[in-house]
Amino acid sequence: MNTIFVLIIAAIALFLGYGVYARRIDRDVIQPDPKRACPAKLYMDGVDFIPASRNVLFGYQFKSIAALGPILGPIAAVQWGWLPALLWIIFGTSFIGWVQDYASMMMGVRRDGDTLGALSYKLISPRARNILMLFLYFYLLLIMGAFGNTVGKGLMINPKVPLGMIIVTLAGILAGQMLYKMKQDIVLTSIVAVAISFLGIGISTLPAVSNIFSGLYGLPKSPVVFLTVTRAQFIGTLLVFVFCYLGSVLPIWSWAQPVNYVSFWIIALGMLGGVLGMLIWRPGMGEFPAFTQWSIPTGPLWPMLFVTIACGAISGWHSLVSTSGTARQLECETDALPVGGGAMFMEMVLATIAFLTATVAFGSLAAYKETLGKVAALGVFAEGLARFLDHIGVPHDFGVAYGSVFLTIMGLTIMQLAVRFMRVASAELLGDKVPVFKNVHVGTIVALILTAIFVWIVPWLTIWTAFGAANQLMAGLALLLISLWLKEEGKRNTWALYPSIFMLVTTVAALILLAYNQFKGIAVAKTSQAAIAAALVAIIAVVLIVAAAFLIADGWKALQKRRPEMAKKTP
Amino acid sequence: MTEEEKQESALSRFGRSFKELLYGMAGHDMTRYALKTRGSMEHLFILITMGDLLGVPILPPYYSLRILPYVVPQISTWKRRMLRERDLTDALA
Repeated sequence: MNTIFVLIIAAIALFLGYGVYARRIDRDVIQPDPKRACPAKLYMDGVDFIPASRNVLFGYQFKSIAALGPILGPIAAVQWGWLPALLWIIFGTSFIGWVQDYASMMMGVRRDGDTLGALSYKLISPRARNILMLFLYFYLLLIMGAFGNTVGKGLMINPKVPLGMIIVTLAGILAGQMLYKMKQDIVLTSIVAVAISFLGIGISTLPAVSNIFSGLYGLPKSPVVFLTVTRAQFIGTLLVFVFCYLGSVLPIWSWAQPVNYVSFWIIALGMLGGVLGMLIWRPGMGEFPAFTQWSIPTGPLWPMLFVTIACGAISGWHSLVSTSGTARQLECETDALPVGGGAMFMEMVLATIAFLTATVAFGSLAAYKETLGKVAALGVFAEGLARFLDHIGVPHDFGVAYGSVFLTIMGLTIMQLAVRFMRVASAELLGDKVPVFKNVHVGTIVALILTAIFVWIVPWLTIWTAFGAANQLMAGLALLLISLWLKEEGKRNTWALYPSIFMLVTTVAALILLAYNQFKGIAVAKTSQAAIAAALVAIIAVVLIVAAAFLIADGWKALQKRRPEMAKKTP
Repeated sequence: MTEEEKQESALSRFGRSFKELLYGMAGHDMTRYALKTRGSMEHLFILITMGDLLGVPILPPYYSLRILPYVVPQISTWKRRMLRERDLTDALA
């Protein structure tokens, strides 16, 4: 199998999935009316509800949904062989992924711009909203744990990365000051900030600079500071926490937004360069097997593959973005398919490229596993991207550092948003009883301490699987809500209900398996750290299973009760 | 319209779409946050101006009346924002 064939398969999936299936559902079932006023116009308040063009929203939606998920998932999943991973990316997107993104957006539009919280309250039960909030907090905690682990313990320990990351952040801060304080032109600001970022990444690869970090980390064999955390991992995660802390407490214009803005250019240029290099090189799969075995250390192919590749095939995060953000900005109903469905298919392309960096870039399972063992999934991507960039003349060392900074930024972008949300959530949920939680610093520090426990104690693959399961479960619940809404509207809902059942069964099975393995792990753990890690993940898995059971039971009852005429009676 | 004009308009349409797409990916979030900040400022401004109506004696009525004309255009959107039920999922976007 050659790179070009994989890209052709992705293009065919795009044509059939989006051009035929999605368009047919849109035309025959949802029947968007271009003349019907959307919430963006109906409730325009100049803040949350404000119409934007479909091109702008496509970019916004894609940027909001594409983070580390579509990149790391496929890289970790090719351990089952390249064929199962590729099939799930393509069929998952074509039959489930776009359905969730597009239909949750349309549901938000047709239900006056309600978010998932309000929709679960109205469509299922008041209890459902409370459970969803609890579920969301744990879900975000798992995002923080999984991303923090991969970035802090995986990427930042490369001595060629931290300085580049710090300089990119400083370039972002400078961009914020230039834009908002000095009132400079956006083009000039972008050129200056991106040039400084590239220079910073280049400087960070110089031996004189990387040796400073090697010394700081105590390399080549970084000493253990506590538990099994080495000094390099400790410093790497501390840098991540400082970044997230500042992202949470500082005004958003001065830190989070301009850094995200500069990051966008680094990510976009990296992807462009990677694709160009891939097209010039056109490597084949080589000795990479199509299928390795049914069961690997992560678990059996079903259900674990379907939660390992989270975003890239389907992701619950997308339904949150679609309802809370994009549905309130759609100018007309007919824009929902290109924005919601189109962005999901674009993410499929991103996941396919990530899949290629782990397979064709290495050419054999042994080479892939050697890199995975040394530097984990993020390192595989950085190395794979560097190999593609080699073919457009980018030095390999710079390519690896660039790929690492690229991914670090992608992770941190979501992490600082998650910390902000966790801070708001703790203030809302506990602020009345424990007023100290209303303090932004306290809320942020509590969120980061909880994250630190997961990052320092739980192994990467375990936390990633738990995050994937929670993420996919969220998607299954969103699809259940969509099915309810479709039934209430008197529309055919099997195209959302069957994917919902599949996702719920698969993710609950994955969580049960995870909890079982972790409880078993407590008994055989050789160290107290391993026992605590297993207990933590097992407890979270059980909490998620119980929360999901309540939501599914309530949802199922509501599904039985719902009649098309109830749409008019619902408040 | 000649063939050349048609082609030109298609090209310019593509250029505009591409520009919008880039803006959506890179800058739309920043604009939204700027709008949210402005929205919060407007809440405070309205509270200062009309606080006494709500039992919050912040500004003497004389000054409230002086700045009232600046508030009036914001009242309808402010009402929509204030009266809308919110939960934590609203904070995500």
